[in-house]
Amino acid sequence: MSATAYLIGLGAAGAAALLGALLPARRRLFGAGVLSAAGCLAALVGAGQVLVSGHPFSVHTAEVLPLTGVDLTLDPLGALFVAVTAIVGLAASCYAVGYGAHGAPSRTATAMLPAFLATVLLVPAAASVATFMIAWELMALTSLLALLAEHRRRPETRDAAQWYAAMTHVGAAAILLGLVLLATHADSQSFAIIAEHRRQLSVPLASVVFVLTLVGFASKAGAVPLHVWLPRAHPEAPSPVSALMSGTMVNLGVYGILRVGEDLLGGGVLWWWLLVAALGVASAFFGALHAAASTDLKRLLAYSTVDNVGLVLIGVGAAGALAAGGERGLAGLVLLAALFHLVNHALFKGSLFLGAGAVQHAAGTRDLDALGGLARQMPATAVCFGIGALAISALPGLNGFASEWLLLQGLLHGFASHSAVTEAALLAGVAALAITGGLTATAFVKALGVGFLGQPRSEGARTAHEVRPSMLAGMALLAAGCVVLGVVPGVVLAVLGRAASAGLAGGAPKALRPGLGLDLTSLHGAIEPALVVVGLLVALVVAWGALRLVPRPAELRRARRAEAWGCGRELQTARMEITATSFAEPLQRVFADVLRPDHDLEVSHAAESRYFPGAISFHQRVDDAVERLVYQPVIAAVGWWGRLARRVPNGSVHRYLAFGFAALVLVLVVLA
Amino acid sequence: MRPGGALDVVQLAAGVVLAGAVLALWRKDLRALISVLSLQGAALATLAGVLAAHDGDVGLGVVAGVVLVAKGLVIPGLLARVVRADPGSRETAPLVNVPASLVTAAVLVVLSYLVAGRLTALFPDPLTRLAPLGLATVLVGFFVLVTRRKAVSQIVGLLLIDNGLALTAFLLTAGVPLLVELGASLDVLLVVVVLQVLATTMRARFGHVDLDQLRELHD
Repeated sequence: MSATAYLIGLGAAGAAALLGALLPARRRLFGAGVLSAAGCLAALVGAGQVLVSGHPFSVHTAEVLPLTGVDLTLDPLGALFVAVTAIVGLAASCYAVGYGAHGAPSRTATAMLPAFLATVLLVPAAASVATFMIAWELMALTSLLALLAEHRRRPETRDAAQWYAAMTHVGAAAILLGLVLLATHADSQSFAIIAEHRRQLSVPLASVVFVLTLVGFASKAGAVPLHVWLPRAHPEAPSPVSALMSGTMVNLGVYGILRVGEDLLGGGVLWWWLLVAALGVASAFFGALHAAASTDLKRLLAYSTVDNVGLVLIGVGAAGALAAGGERGLAGLVLLAALFHLVNHALFKGSLFLGAGAVQHAAGTRDLDALGGLARQMPATAVCFGIGALAISALPGLNGFASEWLLLQGLLHGFASHSAVTEAALLAGVAALAITGGLTATAFVKALGVGFLGQPRSEGARTAHEVRPSMLAGMALLAAGCVVLGVVPGVVLAVLGRAASAGLAGGAPKALRPGLGLDLTSLHGAIEPALVVVGLLVALVVAWGALRLVPRPAELRRARRAEAWGCGRELQTARMEITATSFAEPLQRVFADVLRPDHDLEVSHAAESRYFPGAISFHQRVDDAVERLVYQPVIAAVGWWGRLARRVPNGSVHRYLAFGFAALVLVLVVLA
Repeated sequence: MRPGGALDVVQLAAGVVLAGAVLALWRKDLRALISVLSLQGAALATLAGVLAAHDGDVGLGVVAGVVLVAKGLVIPGLLARVVRADPGSRETAPLVNVPASLVTAAVLVVLSYLVAGRLTALFPDPLTRLAPLGLATVLVGFFVLVTRRKAVSQIVGLLLIDNGLALTAFLLTAGVPLLVELGASLDVLLVVVVLQVLATTMRARFGHVDLDQLRELHD
């Protein structure tokens, strides 16, 4: 039953891609959108049944791929990723119907969104090396094509696509190498048989496999220092595709690490997981810092994805390290928290990316310094974006708080563990969690305050309008998910517990008591977010009522109303407002060593006197330090090698003939 | 084939083919190169004809006729027309000068004897012992192709390779099937026609037929 629903979902998403490619332009969007939404619902039902019952299903067909056949197995761990993908995919499919309707919907763009969705749904169910690699590469290919949808209008897209293609190729090659090593050792390419043979694997070989696959999966997840494609590709993709990339595709990197490290290799040794946690700490800090410094709305969101993936990787690494040290209960709790954060990230980042797409659509720009005051023209978008922004800043009552609280609890309780190295890693994780919390809040105060409040800073922002209902429906669905999981997180904990138990080699005991809130079983710690929300609401009502009842002095009653972020001035123009750049300036100053902003100040003087400036223009660019220090030298070296190689073929016919002659003579000499 | 009059003729003809190739390295006058080609064609035809007479093979006899017509008359005739259009042209400055070319040819002949030693070891026979000559002709032809500048010299180099291949084929196989030899001859004829057109066009466009000057075309 669950298998049928899942396969119907896959089939419907695939059929939606066909419809998008074949239908005439007017019906294309609607047909593809409805069918892929239906496919997501079916896949959600299938994955939900696996998650609730805990029974995996397997499907094998020899017809589809010659030689190897297709092996699909959906266990609770994979089902969690399918379910998350289906929910974000549902919202993105709805949204895409309205999103594409403004311009002429291109055939490729319409077809590639459901095709991409289908491949993301397929990867977590792949149960053999061949099936996995084919699904993985199909995902890379379809996402690349989906990313390129707007390449005619924006030349940056091509650059982003090149970076993405190069990084995903390197990653896929590393994964393939690792999995082939495993398959050769087990003499079978089925994941189940590889997992059975894991005990005979020597530690050095297993480590090589783990590190190789980690390179590939971390580059897909966008972990520092393999993240460079992400802040380029995610902003340049059309917004539904950005939401799918950030909300679902990066998750599969985490999935891959868990599948190979825990399931296929059986947990391995401590340093693997400390490496994962170190990647997580670096990503969380670096991503949050760049998000706080970005002024491009979608680039900010992309860096914030790096940050959140980092938090999830901290959890995964800590869970692996604790499990390798024998503390299964705590490991289960930390992994559960990490998976919970992953689900939450998909929900709020999906909603935020869709919101950013709506802003770009309505105002024609996503540069925060040219936005402002959008809350008045686009109230519904502002609410959805605001919920996402509050959730990602981990404010109580929303889902980001619930998962970060749980993660923090797990990490703090781990200090009682026996290994000093693990303790140090957990401490670093806690520190990263704390600092990214602050930086993320800064970033999203900036996004919300500068983008949606105050006065419009450009004509586009002034004439912005609310977007179509189908787009709003997509955003609202994900925002509602943030609220539900924030108020009553207990409803998904049983399911998450099953996934976390399937994600650890050897399983894990139940970490939380059933209920609506969060209540740790073995450790001391409980919180009931619903009560917190009720308490906050009561406090608000009481405060508001008290203000109405108490008589106010006369001068207060004549109070003038000014818009939020307008500084209450009588005469306020957009040029007097704080901009995104100026908001981030103090932070940039503090972290100047990491961010290294590039300033460019040009002052022109009045013709009459040099003491009176005519115009001042200020430009600032924040480069990615990792890109500059690690990637640029590599690119320069490759370019040098390429130029060197170009000298060899100089166009002379004789030289080409001489190559052939020399090769022939060489072969003969070797033969003789 | 037993030693005797027929074998002597075959050995002489094979030697003439290689000597022609070396001669092509030595002479700078393009007309002399063309005479070398017809000499080689005649030698090949003689070789095939003697083999056909010795074995009583009618097919091989027809092949000998085709070789004589194509390699001995038609192809040199076509090339002579190209040269006649530009009477004073000589291979003035080859990329490797003549003495060095002759030394290289000697090295190539030695190399082909070394390599072909394995081939002859498979079936020691007076005919297969001559196979290195064919191989050496191919290598020398290739060397002409690499080091000579004029378009006509290039065609000559290509034809030397083809003659070397034909010689090897006659010596190593029990008679080349008529169909194969016809196909090969027609291919070569076509190549010569194409190159003739190319050389004529080149002269019309650039005023010379020096391939080495063409490197600006590579982008």
